[in-house]
Amino acid sequence: MTELPILTLVTFSPLIGALLIAFIPRHNVQLVRWAALATALVSFALSLALLPAFDARQAGFQYVEQLDWIPAFGIQYKLGIDGISLVLVVLTTTLSWISILASFGPIKDRVKEFMISFLILEVGMIGVFTALDLFLFYIFFEVVLVPMYLIIGIWGGANRIYATIKFVLYTLAGSLLMLVAILATAFAFQAGHGGDWAGAFDYEQLRQFGFDITLQLFAFGAFFLAFAIKVPMFPFHTWLPDAHVEAPTAGSVILAGVLLKLGGYGFIRFAVGMFPDAAQSYAPWIIGLSLIAIIYGAIVALVQPDMKKLIAYSSVSHMGFVTLGIFIFQQQGMEGAILQMVNHGIITGALFLCVGVLYERTHDRTIAKMGGLAARTPVYAAIFGFFMLASIGLPGLAGFVGEFLVFVGTFAVSPVAAFSATIVMTVGAAYLMWMYQRLIFGEVSDFLKGLGHHLTDMTPTELVTLTPLVALTVIFGLFPGLVLELIHVPVDGILLQFRDATAGVAP
Amino acid sequence: MSAQEWLAIGPLLAVFALAMLAVVLDIARPGRDRLVTGVMVVGLLGAIALTGYTAWYFGGGEVEVFGGAYVRDALTSFLDLLFLSIALLTILFSPDYLHPRRLPMAEYASTLMFAISGAMLLGAARDLLVLFLALELLVLPGYMLAGYAKRDGLSTEGAIKYFLLGSFSSAIFLFGLALVWGFAGSTRIPEVAAVLTSLDGAVSLTPALTMGLALLTAGVAFKIAAVPFHYWTPDAYQGSPTPVTGYLSVGPKVAAFALILRLFVDALAPLKADWVPFIVVLAALTMTLGNLVALTQDNIKRMLAYSSIAHTGYILVGLAAYAAAPPGSDTERAGLEALLFYSAAYSFMNLGAFAVVTALQKRTGVTSQITTFAGLGRRAPLLGALMFLFLLSLTGIPPLAGFWAKAYVIIAAVQVDSPWLIGLAVLTVLNAAAAAFYYLRIAVVMYMGEPSEQTAPVQVGRLVSAGLVLSAVATILIGLVPGPVIAFAQEAARALL
Repeated sequence: MTELPILTLVTFSPLIGALLIAFIPRHNVQLVRWAALATALVSFALSLALLPAFDARQAGFQYVEQLDWIPAFGIQYKLGIDGISLVLVVLTTTLSWISILASFGPIKDRVKEFMISFLILEVGMIGVFTALDLFLFYIFFEVVLVPMYLIIGIWGGANRIYATIKFVLYTLAGSLLMLVAILATAFAFQAGHGGDWAGAFDYEQLRQFGFDITLQLFAFGAFFLAFAIKVPMFPFHTWLPDAHVEAPTAGSVILAGVLLKLGGYGFIRFAVGMFPDAAQSYAPWIIGLSLIAIIYGAIVALVQPDMKKLIAYSSVSHMGFVTLGIFIFQQQGMEGAILQMVNHGIITGALFLCVGVLYERTHDRTIAKMGGLAARTPVYAAIFGFFMLASIGLPGLAGFVGEFLVFVGTFAVSPVAAFSATIVMTVGAAYLMWMYQRLIFGEVSDFLKGLGHHLTDMTPTELVTLTPLVALTVIFGLFPGLVLELIHVPVDGILLQFRDATAGVAP
Repeated sequence: MSAQEWLAIGPLLAVFALAMLAVVLDIARPGRDRLVTGVMVVGLLGAIALTGYTAWYFGGGEVEVFGGAYVRDALTSFLDLLFLSIALLTILFSPDYLHPRRLPMAEYASTLMFAISGAMLLGAARDLLVLFLALELLVLPGYMLAGYAKRDGLSTEGAIKYFLLGSFSSAIFLFGLALVWGFAGSTRIPEVAAVLTSLDGAVSLTPALTMGLALLTAGVAFKIAAVPFHYWTPDAYQGSPTPVTGYLSVGPKVAAFALILRLFVDALAPLKADWVPFIVVLAALTMTLGNLVALTQDNIKRMLAYSSIAHTGYILVGLAAYAAAPPGSDTERAGLEALLFYSAAYSFMNLGAFAVVTALQKRTGVTSQITTFAGLGRRAPLLGALMFLFLLSLTGIPPLAGFWAKAYVIIAAVQVDSPWLIGLAVLTVLNAAAAAFYYLRIAVVMYMGEPSEQTAPVQVGRLVSAGLVLSAVATILIGLVPGPVIAFAQEAARALL
């Protein structure tokens, strides 16, 4: 098992595909599409191949690969996964092939460039979840930016350039500060080891180091900014609605499904893992911001006239549960947060796919123009309804469990916070059901009548993209243990270390 | 002179010889541009090989020639290789621009080679007078190159501004040298350093020495185009023929940093505590103002001019880290390594970006407005992709050369345990984020805009292609495997300290 660098294969298999696609003639659009899909399926299969040999009860990282990269600064090429990364890697590979398949129809222009960008994006996303060297992590974190910038900027809607530049500048500002923090911690580590750079960027070693509180407060601040922009937390969320509205369907799916999770993952792995004392001192503020995000996102979502914008604000609200769950530092809460990340990825990804399906036919996303879809497209109405209910948090479907666990965890720590978050569940039900009602029920609107026979029900391809997500929503709703089993040990480890580290500083 | 000494000055002699050969060829075979280009390319490749051999032969040691006025150490070799690469790339990019405009190649090549020999001499000088002579040998051909398109009003205007401010700053610089000489009583750099060290802080700055230091700093700040001494840059860059602009944005700038290394780091190091504040302020001003003004530019050459000012600021952060670090520490060296590494990375990516502009301007009449790039991603996908690559590297996106350069500078700055330097590091990354805006603006126009006018397909000549590939490979390779360049920079920095 040690011989085959399987994590490297998982991470870079999309890149190999992208390079191959670069040699396919531009006009051979079908071949480009199928090659991209095949590549994404290969990396999906490779990521699934990680599961059998993965030992969920073992603490620490598995499948570790370690090579010196820049010995002068102790920078390594080090990959490895624990349960948390594994879950997110599989989420990434799953949503990637689905997104690629979903863009067969909508992307007609410059297909080759699109597929190459998308596959490079996949490399960056998987890399973020597998990297165990902070420098490598930073590189993957930044690599994600470029293809996403192109995907929104080239294949996006009317206001795409504003949206994409806003996206890049927000994210870059945060992540560059994180770079300074990474370098500062590495230097503190080096200084603490008598000027020896070895291991200065190694996550596992940095975690054991115990930085002094001043550095922690500064470095956590920088990491926080980078991840809070990615999640996005209130008040750093303003780029998200723009990016979502302008991005093509596949871009929105990946943005909601995976990119936002980079922030949540970063919080758990790096911000909390490396700077526990600072995390504890900032936690009340972050919990406050999370609650604001949960409530604010839901209320703003209520009044959105645009379907994508509505779902974007609902993401802000749902991701608030993730940060809330992380920063109450409590077993159920953090497990719930991770579960919520996975479920939100699946459900919101699916909702964006649904919006894409409608947009393909109507070239419009204004809720007010729709109506009575149930009569014209019954299958679509059913599937959309399914994901709507899942997103509200209907028990038995995936969306419920994560939020429930976060509630349980929060309640143990602060009943007030839990109470105010619960109220939002009602608002959540309101904005989604109201949107659904306006879209699906009632008279067929004049706008839709005008489309005539263009308004067809779902095509087989669209069904293929959505069916796996339906299945996953049901499975994770009924058997959340499948995920929880994988993340239990790593979460335990993080919290244990957190308590050890903060035991001395606790008030 | 011993054989060793001849070998030590071999690369310099080779470039001198090439400069002269270009003139002779032009007399013997007038108008044979291709021949001259070929000879220059082959000659420069030979010189690069020779420098590589010399570096290997002397290893970490040093050889003094001409009674100690010229030194070959690892720093000299590092800089020589860099200057020769710059010269080679510039020669590769030039014919496609010069030929359609009926500008002769031979004189151009000869002038360029003289400038490069000046740069190489500057990187090896250990005598104040030689430093000044080398500086003039570097900049005088630069003025000529800037005004090379003599029938073009903008070119002449830029060249005159460049010349006036350039010679003004040279005079200031010379005055500063004279004051330092008057104080130290010697023009030999080691002796100057010895005299200054012997003060050992007992006598603080005398008025004459203060004046000297101030004048030297101002003179050098002109040469590297640091804010507020940058006013000549945008006009000179915009007016010059595009390949010359590319050269001006890297060659003289890196050479001026070589001057800083030899003069400030070698000779004036004992005074460094006194010039730290100036460098910190210069760095902060330079990168911030460069970026802010670049945001508003619509002319690509002007935009790249201001961007190069910003990059000067980032390089100065490395110098500031050196200056602020306690003498004799590892941190001190890290600052110089960062400076050298940044110079190398910057040279390749910036030349690459200018080369794309040059390639587009093969047809005469193509302006350097940003609209020239409209739809380039569609018209010439490969050229567009290369431009995108260079822009990403200039922005500092990993894993490209420009990213490591910025990271190195920041590493050096945060290592110094001083709030000023931490502040400078934070300012650097904020600037890098702001700079993303205007670099990406070009990418937006390339990929997301439609060609505004009816534009013919872009044809890229073979030489330019070769040069572009070289720059791109260097940008990617320095990004993926920065190890060897870092090791070389470390060796070069060790030669100084």
